[in-house]
Amino acid sequence: MSAAPSRGQVLNLYKQFIKNANQFNNYNFKEYFLRRSRESFRANSKIQDPVELAKVYRDAQFDLAVLKRQSIISQLYTFDKLVVEPVAEK
Amino acid sequence: MFRQLLRTATPLAHRQAAIATKRTSIVPQSLMRYYSASGLTKDDVTTRIVDVIKAYDKSLAAKPISLESTYNKDLGLDSLDTVELIVAIEEEFEIEIPDKVADELKNVGETVDYIVSNPDAN
Amino acid sequence: MLKNTRTNGLLKTSYRVFGLQNVHPLKFYSSSAAATAVKKIADNISLETHTDIQAAAREQAEERSSAGNDSASNGVGGFTAPNALKHAYQENTGFGTRPIYLDMQATTPTDPRVLDTMLKFYTGLYGNPHSNTHAYGWETNKEIETAREHVAKLINADPKEIVFTSGATESNNMVVKGIARFYKKTKNHIITTRTEHKCVLEAARAMINEGFEVTFLNVNEDGLIDLEDLKKNIRPETCLISVMAVNNEIGVMQPIKEIGEICRKNKIFFHTDAAQAYGKVPLDVDKMNIDLMSISSHKIYGPKGIGALYVRRRPRVRLDPLLSGGGQERGLRSGTLAPPLVAGFGEAARLMKQEYDADVAHITRLSKKLMDNLLALEHTTLNGSSKHRYPGCVNVSFAYVEGESLLMALRDIALSSGSACTSASLEPSYVLHALGKDDALAHSSIRFGIGRFTTEDEVDYVIKAIVERVKYLRELSPLWEMVQEGIDLNSIKWSGH
Repeated sequence: MSAAPSRGQVLNLYKQFIKNANQFNNYNFKEYFLRRSRESFRANSKIQDPVELAKVYRDAQFDLAVLKRQSIISQLYTFDKLVVEPVAEK
Repeated sequence: MFRQLLRTATPLAHRQAAIATKRTSIVPQSLMRYYSASGLTKDDVTTRIVDVIKAYDKSLAAKPISLESTYNKDLGLDSLDTVELIVAIEEEFEIEIPDKVADELKNVGETVDYIVSNPDAN
Repeated sequence: MLKNTRTNGLLKTSYRVFGLQNVHPLKFYSSSAAATAVKKIADNISLETHTDIQAAAREQAEERSSAGNDSASNGVGGFTAPNALKHAYQENTGFGTRPIYLDMQATTPTDPRVLDTMLKFYTGLYGNPHSNTHAYGWETNKEIETAREHVAKLINADPKEIVFTSGATESNNMVVKGIARFYKKTKNHIITTRTEHKCVLEAARAMINEGFEVTFLNVNEDGLIDLEDLKKNIRPETCLISVMAVNNEIGVMQPIKEIGEICRKNKIFFHTDAAQAYGKVPLDVDKMNIDLMSISSHKIYGPKGIGALYVRRRPRVRLDPLLSGGGQERGLRSGTLAPPLVAGFGEAARLMKQEYDADVAHITRLSKKLMDNLLALEHTTLNGSSKHRYPGCVNVSFAYVEGESLLMALRDIALSSGSACTSASLEPSYVLHALGKDDALAHSSIRFGIGRFTTEDEVDYVIKAIVERVKYLRELSPLWEMVQEGIDLNSIKWSGH
């Protein structure tokens, strides 16, 4: 069993979730992962039990790896922006 | 990641990877920078940071934000919110703020000072 | 030195292949996180898919007008396409052009986490899961069984009771034809409903040709069947009752638990087509006495081309397989499984369970917002029961507006006026007919599908667009003018064709 993560470790993990979610080219996926990252980190911030915290932290690292790979793929195959997405001036 | 890929590939790729890695290590850090901090004034940075804050949290759009505004007390952001704001600021200035530094940035003024002092910011 | 430049050049060439020409190779290696590197190069990758909705719509409009002026005969203000189109294409400067996807009942976007699971089957795990003589087969087989567990868990089934198929259409055919054929010596009657998906209706009709009798139960104006009516239609020869869990057009949920009880009491197999329900509403095969259940992967953010059939083992349900062959999947569905699809489906099912609470909360909230705002328009009705429904499917009728013209005017939103399978024809929906809606109302209905990836901004955009354009199209309709003047439309004698 791994030890419970420190506050700094959790915040760093959160930062990586947000950064990687932000990099999705697909609007719906990007918004979804941002929303779910926010929701789940906030919900999990109430966890007190160190064993459970360690497990949640480990699972989240696995999810982060998925997010990293998929945010890259989302950038490799791109589509037109949606009608709700502002197009950045170039 | 790509380095690993190349390593397990053909011997040719092997050699390329080795060269590339080596070159990375011998190029002085300063040569890899294309921009310097000189173009950024404190006023400019402040305006941009305030814009980022207002874009991040729409409820703060009408609030007066000054250099003394603290993220936690004045702007009502918790630790997770602050992390997100830092990410937004990083993206605005195309830099990476180390966790240790980010932890110490408690208000707008400190953040402005850090950005102005960061030669990578642009 | 010379060698250096050469290899460097080689490196550059290889990047060029990927369209990364403006990237200094060094930058690629110097970056600590691969993601940051990708972020910078992504700008140079050309757009993969360009959706020119304006050209597509123009093409379609031309096709329609050359096909004849059919729609004019509907009497719903004639064909207003040219004006409507012009209206829909006011340049939305500063924003993209790709339509908002709101057709989740047709199919859902593949979840990136599902794709992540699938990719390794296209890169390394290519073994045949049925090869049991080597590691390539074993490793793939292990993944298949994990997927099977995920699929089973969501409905409280045993993994052994899950048979992978090509999709819900195959599953439905397998049940209706397979059960009927297996029991044809003693039984010759099937009960289903009028609002089933086409594949159940057509499979049942096919069995009529094989000497079966089929009862198609009516539904009330809410889209629900009457349990007393069901009981009355049960015969000693009834071998199968097939009722869908959630309707694909109107999102109405049938009383599955009550139907299951009736079936068990009468010792008749109960099949439910849960393509639109699986993972989205609570389903428990034991508590609900379900004997067979059709499941689709691409309705739960999984890959297309795969589905499953739940077949109860105790008490055992027996059916004739559609396909003969190597006897895979308990002999019920021969043929090599597609591991990437199976694993993707399994991951999609796992995510439906993991994300259930978050999905339900999100979808219910957006659905309520959409419904409240659309129904605030006058002469607008919700089709199907407002109580017994899956919130992610909202079917609304806009009286005095022709659905097709509205869809034409809404090219910036991907919607459907019925099920994707039948929308190829301009025939009004048989489901809405079964609810007792008249042709005009059935023609003026639109289905909104909300899912996991729908955002609040999208819903806000849709509300604004629909409200605006319904008002606009009504302005053009002579019928609307008459309604506003207080003329009772039923009193008018139309000079017919």
